[in-house]
Amino acid sequence: MRSRINFYIIEYAINSLLAQKYKTIFMVIILSSLIFLLSSLFFIKNSIKYELDVTLDSLPQIIVQNIKAGRHYDIDIEAIDEILNINGVEGAVARVWGYYYFENAGVNFTLMGIDEYEEGYKESLKKVAKELDFSSSSMIVGEGVRDVLNKSYYKEYFNFIKPNGELKKVEIGGVFSADSLLESNDVIVMSRDTLREIFDMEQNRATDIVVRVANADEISTVAAKIKLKYPSFRVITNNDLRVSYQNIFDYKSGLFLSLFIISIFTFFIIVYDKASGLSSEQKREIGVLRAIGWRVDDILKERFYEAFIVSIFSFLAGTIFAFAFVYTFNAPLISNIFSGYSKLKTTFDLAFVFDMQTLALIFFLSVPIYISAIIIPSWKSATLDVDEVIR
Amino acid sequence: MLQRDLFIILFSLFLSLSAVSGADFTKSATIKPELIQDGTKKEWCSVCGMKIEEYYKTSHAAKIHNHKNKQYCSMRCLAVDMQEYDIKLDDVMVVDVVTQKLIDAKSAFYVVDSDVKGTMSKVSKLAFSSKEAAEDFNIEHGGKIVDFATALKMAKESLVGDIEMVEAKKTKQVYPMGKNIFEKKCKNSIDINSYLEINELKSAINNNKLCGELKEGELQALSLYLWEVKRFGDNKNLDVIKVTKDEKCPICGMFVYKYPKWAAQIFYGDKRYSFDGVKDMMKYYFLHKEGVAKMLVTDYYSQNVIEAKNAFFVLGSDVYGPMGDELIPFKSQNEANSFSLDHKGKKVLKFDEITKEALKKLDE
Repeated sequence: MRSRINFYIIEYAINSLLAQKYKTIFMVIILSSLIFLLSSLFFIKNSIKYELDVTLDSLPQIIVQNIKAGRHYDIDIEAIDEILNINGVEGAVARVWGYYYFENAGVNFTLMGIDEYEEGYKESLKKVAKELDFSSSSMIVGEGVRDVLNKSYYKEYFNFIKPNGELKKVEIGGVFSADSLLESNDVIVMSRDTLREIFDMEQNRATDIVVRVANADEISTVAAKIKLKYPSFRVITNNDLRVSYQNIFDYKSGLFLSLFIISIFTFFIIVYDKASGLSSEQKREIGVLRAIGWRVDDILKERFYEAFIVSIFSFLAGTIFAFAFVYTFNAPLISNIFSGYSKLKTTFDLAFVFDMQTLALIFFLSVPIYISAIIIPSWKSATLDVDEVIR
Repeated sequence: MLQRDLFIILFSLFLSLSAVSGADFTKSATIKPELIQDGTKKEWCSVCGMKIEEYYKTSHAAKIHNHKNKQYCSMRCLAVDMQEYDIKLDDVMVVDVVTQKLIDAKSAFYVVDSDVKGTMSKVSKLAFSSKEAAEDFNIEHGGKIVDFATALKMAKESLVGDIEMVEAKKTKQVYPMGKNIFEKKCKNSIDINSYLEINELKSAINNNKLCGELKEGELQALSLYLWEVKRFGDNKNLDVIKVTKDEKCPICGMFVYKYPKWAAQIFYGDKRYSFDGVKDMMKYYFLHKEGVAKMLVTDYYSQNVIEAKNAFFVLGSDVYGPMGDELIPFKSQNEANSFSLDHKGKKVLKFDEITKEALKKLDE
């Protein structure tokens, strides 16, 4: 078998590419920008999906909320005693949290209150509980919050406006970073008492109650029992939350899909245009090669090398640019498809996720299709009679 | 004439207003409470350690050994203490809800099961010196009027249930919090055994600042943890069954580490066998009964390890283990019954009651 690579043919292929300089450059630009667009979309989707998964994993198993007039209302923490009496419940914690709109920057902060001694409901908060100084009113802020506050020259403290119009000064005790940026970027953590003061909430009230269940199989049973005891409460399990988060993500994915289809379609049109026929000049070239004694498979090999060089080069250039665009420049413009144009959320960096599957998918969508689009018409004219082609 | 009418209107308005404010009845003292125990410990109940002032209107007091005064947050704690000490019924005093003074319990009228929440009990028991006052209260808050002996009998009968009710909150919330406070704040060593009652311990921690500044709730959690857990060595076995990755169930051949929720183990001396469910463990046990050192199973609710011989097993429920129908272990009869109700269980068995036939039936 003469399956060895024939270097003369490769040399010929390169020379042929260089001979048609402008055409080659044009093809490379078109191909690589398509691949760039495709892969940056995939990369953004992957890292947002990753953030979503991390956030979903850290969700509490059951959340119990009080509903009044169809709206979420403060819950009486005495309900905890009853909930703890349900078999299978490992623990229940009253959470005090809420949003604070910082008008200067037009941003919403998520404020979370924690207790010094009570068992935290989240690993990341447990770490914060160790750093936070509970004896004075101080807070620990997420990185995004720190940047926003710094811009408004709040470097050491921040003045919260209480519902009655008075100011509450809270020192910035530190900055924390959690596993996921989506979760922690806009978060401010402080002691529960300070937060109750800012929100003007009574001592025996909380925003909601988080229930821990030791055996995950029992979550739905426990949730049903809480609902039975307090018919007016809204009981949300982590599965419900997973579904609704997933819905939002799927909706955004729909937008992504439409973009994806458009770019793929464009690509196929280009390929089809190429494949539908060769210019007479190219046909003549094949005919001449045949006439001087090239065999059909040599011609196809030469075409293959030509197409391979172009498409691999474009593929590498496209993906490398996409990596840089997404992970170092944070995908300006395109990431808005997923995170929305809303200015309320503090900005976040996309987490780096390297997924071989995505790269393989992009590779197989571009390289083999382009190669076949080059080879098939060449094969068609190469198998014709020489004199028919040249004539 | 007009003046008198106005007076009547105003008076009735006042009455109706006071009736409205009666709806949010408070159990805590509104005047300076009578605290009759000796020393600084008098602020707290001698059985449960709760602040008497906060639960003053359900508070009881008694004499033990004919002279030493003790005061309780509620009749429930009195009933607990009666198991330990010989308390004469003549010596029991109770707070009159109206005057907020201690009166003789035997002559008091009790309103039980009203809409006021009980103190450490499902049912509240409030005392009145006059029958009229008790009846007025009864009309407004419901319940029924009984004498001291009946109320005490009720308290004694409901004691087991009441203790269980508080127990869940204690183990799931108060003890862990108390432990946290103890580890974080208590730099000085505390000799728990030198105190006779929980209120002595509590007043010592509070007054000598053994653990720094604490709020009442934190102080209570810390004292309860020290008194009810730490005093007995904190030896609560809260581990899970540990299985290495190469251990296979000798009955079905499956890797056990994949099913930690169902892990069970038998120890023969140093040797141990792990199973992916109680059913397989029992099958093995019936074949090799000799020389069993101990048998461990995983409690379904808490996922902690418990001794198989003390466990209760639910059969025929709609919850399946890795090998299908299972014997599902629980650490208490109460939990097993409640699971059985939730999940259509057919039988609740103790370890000794499990037979080969029952196992065979599970596999059908």
